[in-house]
Amino acid sequence: MATRKTTNGAPRGASSGATGSARTTGVRDAVIVGGNRIPFSRAGKRYADASNSEMFTAALEGLVARFGLQGERLGEVVGGAVLKHSRDFNMIRESVLGSSLSPQTPAFDLQQACATGLEATINVANKIRLGQIDSGVAGGTDTISDAPIAVSDPLRRALLAAQHAKTLQGRLKALAQVRPGDLKPLTPATDEPRTGLSMGEHQAITTARWGISREAQDELALASHQNLTAAWDSGFFDDLVTPFRGLTRDDNVRADTSLEKLASLKPVFGKSLATSAEVPAVPTMTAGNSTPLTDGASTVLLASTDWAQAHDLPVLARFVDAETAAVDFVHGHEGLLMAPVHAVPRLLARNGLTLADFDFVEIHEAFASTVLTTLAAWEDADYCKNELGLPGPFGSVDRARINVNGSSLAAGHPFAATGGRIVATAAKLVAQRAAETGKPARALVSVCAAGGLGATAIIESV
Amino acid sequence: MTATRPATVAGGPLRIETLPSLPGLAGLYARGAAASGRIAAGRALPHLPVVGTALEPGDGPLALPDVAYRVSGVETDGLAPHLRDYQRLVHEPASDTMPAGYLHVLAFPLATAVMVRGDFPLPLLGMVHLSNAVEHRGPVRVGDLLEVRAWAENLRPHRRGVQIDLVAEVWPDGGGERALWRGVSTYLAKGFHLPDGSPSGVDGSPERAPSGTWAPPLPTGRWALGPGTGRAYGAVSGDRNPIHLSALSAKAFGYPRAIAHGMYTAARALADVGNARGDAYRWTVHFGRPVLLPGTVDVAVTPAEDGTGFRYVGWNAPRRLKHFEGGVVPLDA
Repeated sequence: MATRKTTNGAPRGASSGATGSARTTGVRDAVIVGGNRIPFSRAGKRYADASNSEMFTAALEGLVARFGLQGERLGEVVGGAVLKHSRDFNMIRESVLGSSLSPQTPAFDLQQACATGLEATINVANKIRLGQIDSGVAGGTDTISDAPIAVSDPLRRALLAAQHAKTLQGRLKALAQVRPGDLKPLTPATDEPRTGLSMGEHQAITTARWGISREAQDELALASHQNLTAAWDSGFFDDLVTPFRGLTRDDNVRADTSLEKLASLKPVFGKSLATSAEVPAVPTMTAGNSTPLTDGASTVLLASTDWAQAHDLPVLARFVDAETAAVDFVHGHEGLLMAPVHAVPRLLARNGLTLADFDFVEIHEAFASTVLTTLAAWEDADYCKNELGLPGPFGSVDRARINVNGSSLAAGHPFAATGGRIVATAAKLVAQRAAETGKPARALVSVCAAGGLGATAIIESV
Repeated sequence: MTATRPATVAGGPLRIETLPSLPGLAGLYARGAAASGRIAAGRALPHLPVVGTALEPGDGPLALPDVAYRVSGVETDGLAPHLRDYQRLVHEPASDTMPAGYLHVLAFPLATAVMVRGDFPLPLLGMVHLSNAVEHRGPVRVGDLLEVRAWAENLRPHRRGVQIDLVAEVWPDGGGERALWRGVSTYLAKGFHLPDGSPSGVDGSPERAPSGTWAPPLPTGRWALGPGTGRAYGAVSGDRNPIHLSALSAKAFGYPRAIAHGMYTAARALADVGNARGDAYRWTVHFGRPVLLPGTVDVAVTPAEDGTGFRYVGWNAPRRLKHFEGGVVPLDA
């Protein structure tokens, strides 16, 4: 008698883990097929009532539609959110179940602060390269507008103790521990837990140490807005973005901003550093040259070359390699957002490359000064020798190659969604450049993150 | 600072008086009589008068009591929840090993008992904590059987009165080669004078630059201290001096608002140094301007330039006032 062990019959998809032999030796290429995100929106505006999983599902479903993946069993979907409610355990898996993908598509959540999206991409690419999966989606989502609000630790402990108590008396005794002050809700903060300084204050210290000027920061911010506007106008994002909640473009980008307007903004970070004995610094960081809080979600489709061919899908680029780093920022030895500065030299050395070998350099604009301190550090002989262990300056980057289609200052930065936005953008940029020139093109991706973390990657045309 | 035997100013040995148990909060915790860290020390120290029967200024020569208190057989089995509360409050990692600041809290009631003796010449309330120096030879763990000793010594002039050292030591029960922990708390009693009449002298406190002229270093951290900071540390430490508890009670002692416990700020700085301090370290602090609550304190906790341990300093950034500074330096075992 035939027994039916599952309710949905035989697997429909073709992708089922490792191909061929029982043991996989060596690695193969992981390629980027394409990406899809929803337009990013300033916090509290168009996506004010959209949840993390709604936004991720929307971005994922757009990706499924774009590449005809309905009913497809993918190897894995990996993503996460930085500000995530505890009820959203398995958030990515739930999004998969809410999408048109095969319900047999596994998924998991991961989180590495602002590097979440890039770390997800690294994970999916590595599984593909090892032959453990043939296809996968990486991405991330974040909402400030719909951020989870927590209760204070004393209230939480009292509620848990009451729940665990066996008698009414015990429950009342536990609840009697609650003080009025404990009832105040806790909203998520961008303060570093270990230092109590906000990310902006940390970066203000780094900015002061490196002597980055207000003008240089404003110029970089202006370029971000201009480049992103031009990219939207030229249709660059037409096959990378799906409208959501009536929004068709990133709503933070300001086509009409100017250096004068940016120069008129008051500093918001580093205001107490002016009296410092170490680095007396006029505050330079404003809302204009810092990333706004943003809502949004992004996804990237990765695959093996064979899988892409078998599904008749285009290939934009190869995800070559990646390197993460962390820095000792707690006692001020290194700047909080300087980890990519350490990761990139290691990544490039492993791959026999120099900064000059890149056609595009995508440095996440957490703040304009993050990009500028990164560049300054790589040009500083003493720093490169003492901190990075290099014989001399790591090198310079041609400004014309940096964030050519805009970055987070203009697009906004929904923490976990930024990695997917940058990877898809970089993949399309190298694909376009290679098609234009007939020569291989290469992009470097760098994302800094809270906790002194950073993730970096190399993307190359195929 | 070496662990010396208790001695009088004249060099003679102090009379050792053995108490049956640690007075107050820590003893209650140790006996498991309290499960919560919210026990008020006011309740926990009922047998101690709130204010010592101090002599009025100019009321004859000052002399410290020639007695050292000792409590042996101090059990620490029941201290785990109290230690946990302390660790959470000052941002120490959860551990069964007691940080130096916790041993200060443990010995505090015995040191207080010295200060509230009838023959102690200075008033407990109103005394200003100038500085603190601890040698932590540790580790001391929950479950260790300890002996605690406390006495007052080194009465000496200060430009604004007199200062004394309250010395507390934690030993393995039954003694040993040296104390596991030794803390010297230096207090100022304003308006008192020594018989020789010299009011001036080295006061050991940091230089007090005029307001707004001191230039701070770059911060490595920022503490947002809520209005209940003093009450929270008071509940855990047992130090419920009214200047820490509320604006109203602080005003009675001349402060515009409640002020943070100096030892709370020093303990936060010690916690910030983290594992780099090792098992044995010297932890010092000099207190400057008080931290008014609620308030924001910028801190710089940085490796010392000479490579030995850490230095730390805390300040009010807008007003450029130094609140405290000190160091955490590893000790050779």
